[in-house]
Amino acid sequence: MSVFVAVDQIDKVFPLTGGGEYIALKGINLEIKKGEFISLIGHSGCGKSTLLNMIAGLDLPTEGIVTLEGQRIQEPGPDRMVIFQNYSLLPWLTVRQNIALAVDEVMSNASKAERKSVVEEHINLVGLSHAANKIPGQLSGGMKQRVAIARALAIRPKLLLLDEPFGALDALTRGNLQEQLMQICEQYQITSVMVTHDVDEAVLLSDKIVMLTNGPSSKIGGILEVDIPRPRKRMQVVNHPSYYSLRSEIIYFLNQQKRIKKIRAKKTATVARHGLEKVNLELGFVPLTACAPVAVAMEKGFFAKHGLDEVSLVRETSWRGIVDGIEGGYLDAAQMPAGMPTWLTAGGNQNRPLPTVTALTMTRNGNGITLAQKFYDQGVITAAQYKQKLLALDGEKHTLGMVHPSSMHNILLRYWLAAGGIDPDRDVELKTIPPAQMVADLKAKTIDGYCVGEPWNLRAAMEGHGFTVATDMEIWQGHPGKVLGVREDWANRYPNSHVALVKALLEAGRYCADTKNHQEIREILASRNYLATKEEYIQLGEPSNYSCNLDKHVEYAHHMFFGDGLNRPSRTEHLWMMTQMARWGHIPFPRNWVEILERVCRVGTFSTASRELELGDLKYRRSPIQLFDDVAFDAEDPIGYLNHLGIERNFTIAEVHLASPTFVAA
Amino acid sequence: MTTNTRKINKNNRDNFISAFWKKNSGEIIPPILGILGFLAIWQFLSSTGLIKLAGPSTIWTDERTRELLLYPFYDAGGLDKGLFWQTMASLGRVAQGYSLAAIVGIAGGILVGLNPLLDKALDPIFQFLRMVAPLAWVPIALVALQQNQPAAIFVIFITSVWPILINTTEGVKQIPQDYLNVKRVLKLSNQKFFFKILFPSALPYIFTGLRIGIGLAWLAIIAAEIVMSGIVGIGFFIWDAYQQNYISEIILAVIYIGAVGLILDRAIAYIQKLIAPQS
Repeated sequence: MSVFVAVDQIDKVFPLTGGGEYIALKGINLEIKKGEFISLIGHSGCGKSTLLNMIAGLDLPTEGIVTLEGQRIQEPGPDRMVIFQNYSLLPWLTVRQNIALAVDEVMSNASKAERKSVVEEHINLVGLSHAANKIPGQLSGGMKQRVAIARALAIRPKLLLLDEPFGALDALTRGNLQEQLMQICEQYQITSVMVTHDVDEAVLLSDKIVMLTNGPSSKIGGILEVDIPRPRKRMQVVNHPSYYSLRSEIIYFLNQQKRIKKIRAKKTATVARHGLEKVNLELGFVPLTACAPVAVAMEKGFFAKHGLDEVSLVRETSWRGIVDGIEGGYLDAAQMPAGMPTWLTAGGNQNRPLPTVTALTMTRNGNGITLAQKFYDQGVITAAQYKQKLLALDGEKHTLGMVHPSSMHNILLRYWLAAGGIDPDRDVELKTIPPAQMVADLKAKTIDGYCVGEPWNLRAAMEGHGFTVATDMEIWQGHPGKVLGVREDWANRYPNSHVALVKALLEAGRYCADTKNHQEIREILASRNYLATKEEYIQLGEPSNYSCNLDKHVEYAHHMFFGDGLNRPSRTEHLWMMTQMARWGHIPFPRNWVEILERVCRVGTFSTASRELELGDLKYRRSPIQLFDDVAFDAEDPIGYLNHLGIERNFTIAEVHLASPTFVAA
Repeated sequence: MTTNTRKINKNNRDNFISAFWKKNSGEIIPPILGILGFLAIWQFLSSTGLIKLAGPSTIWTDERTRELLLYPFYDAGGLDKGLFWQTMASLGRVAQGYSLAAIVGIAGGILVGLNPLLDKALDPIFQFLRMVAPLAWVPIALVALQQNQPAAIFVIFITSVWPILINTTEGVKQIPQDYLNVKRVLKLSNQKFFFKILFPSALPYIFTGLRIGIGLAWLAIIAAEIVMSGIVGIGFFIWDAYQQNYISEIILAVIYIGAVGLILDRAIAYIQKLIAPQS
């Protein structure tokens, strides 16, 4: 279908009374096809009503044009009928007269009898024949809005524009009207644009949801396609698998916008002290057992000890929050999945290479693959058996959860599946789910299993919803888990702060590694500021007494926080992760991989930190990378290794262009 | 049979009256008490000689006044007419002046309200002129028009036109943006816009202006007639009575004026209720 309405590079600037100007919208591009239902969603003041008004022609853009069927929109007209939030009925006219006013004016060519029948038809359409002779003052809000809908539909507009049509109605009425509107729109194939605040309403009604960022200079932050088939019924929509992911996507977006607003409002002056360039750091983390070093550094004062006395921790529920925080610059540093610095640098995030560095591997191990309890009951306890299960139950959809494309969970889960002969993209579906939500999804039976960091494997096992089918021990003992990541430009601007941060976290890691402290750390992690869960789910040492109810004894690997060869960033490991992410098409394999690894792994910063901590005896030693399938990884020939692997996507090799690093003269 | 029905009717009527009394006695008794108290104090003050003004009882006790009270419809020709005719003469002038004011005020108000430039240009003049007291217009009117009758009508007009004009202007300016959007989206013709949106929307404001205007018009005619001697009218009647020291007649005329003013105001309110019930 061709473009019906086109919004082309729209800017809208309002002059302010003080003499300045307010840029409401900037660079908006939108294409609407015939018959589509589009929702505009965003916070108050993001300019969504302004955008609607410009499509209506009630307001004109400062720059750019809006076209309907190729015709430039310059004034309002009945072919783009608007349904206003406050109904805009004329209170001195009856329902019938209100509709007739529109019909008589717009359809002046039709005969009187024809017009009359159109009016009656639409009064009946919205079920208001009993109230046709009442004036709006005698109607409830819902009835008034139905009159407004009838008036709009009666003049057969090409485009129906709705400005928060149900915002002022109670929930029950709103639900009924949404269903009615949906039915009418489907029946008459009406193209509609609706402004709304209501996430559920947007998902229920729309084909596309346009999310606007906060003003000033609002732009389109993202467009979601709603793939729920029509005709839709509320209850079916709610149960559709896409419903919750769409919903959470929108809510995530809106929350993110709210946070950005808050951060903009907050004064973020750099505080330099103690010979450090910046001591007020926002440090992002995701609540997992592996966040122990971050929590300990905070609670036991290691940050302050190294001069960083204004660190505040920012708890993110998903890794995506960390990515947005680092990219948006409102996180100084973050705990990251091991693959994330490479992934960001190589342009894994929407093809926007963002040079990111790591100078510390904070944890190793602590991951596991959990399958739902039903598989255990059926005797499925290895990848091969799971594969047989997948083949046997052909037609049924199998979904596995992982936390982020760049995380070890994704990489290891895919590796484990592929090694068992399962194609992780074709045979199953991998879905990104925030760590803390995994158990809930497993419980709701929407996923077969997942790969995630502790405590979520243990918890599923202890609650009896699933069992751990593979642990670190069985995939790659001692694999990197979480790393400290900062943007490259940040590291260059604040080199001393970076060293201090590594020192604090390294010392915190040493504290975590001491079994004497484990009980205390478990208490810290279980508290509300961190995991907010039961202490028994958090095991740093020997959780064997909980190692679920498999006949074979599952050996959980310990989290590793500190020790020889554990903390120093390893180029070989990052290269291996790079090959795996390229294998599944998350990033192209960079032709300049040597340059990228050099820039991602800040070995120098780590060395400085460990020397200043007088940990010179901390050895650098890693055994060669070899996983459970005994395929050796040759760091000299990554492309050869990639070609050698069995299941893979057609990976691409491309030059990743990075801006040359900028150093601030000290 | 017939007696029976009558009885029932009578019972019904009794019931109705008692029910009405029960419901409204709270509304009726206090004002009556207030009026009686006011008259009693007045009577007391004038009988003790504290004020020189005659008491309210003189309306009845004074023979001339009693005649005026009992025979409002007599007409002995010339200026010697009953109070009803005096009042009607004044009302006639008000009707002419006020009608003119309503026509000019509403039409002008709509014109000015629709045209921001005109509004800006004329608003200071309106605000200035409306502050001029009715009596101040009298000499100007007499000089300009040379005759008592048209001058009186002009004074009514010029006094009552401002509130109507200013309120109408405001009403047109205050048409809600929603209604204007409806007009723009539907591309309503000017004629339809005027009759379906502009006029109904401004109507409450127009009526507010009309109500203030009628009060001012009635005030003005009394003042104007007092100054313009030798015409039939309740204003000149008061002036004449004062010249001849018939104090009780003045009191009676004042009661007429108050009552008529009240009736005029209520009448406009009643019309408003009929025409624009939702406002």
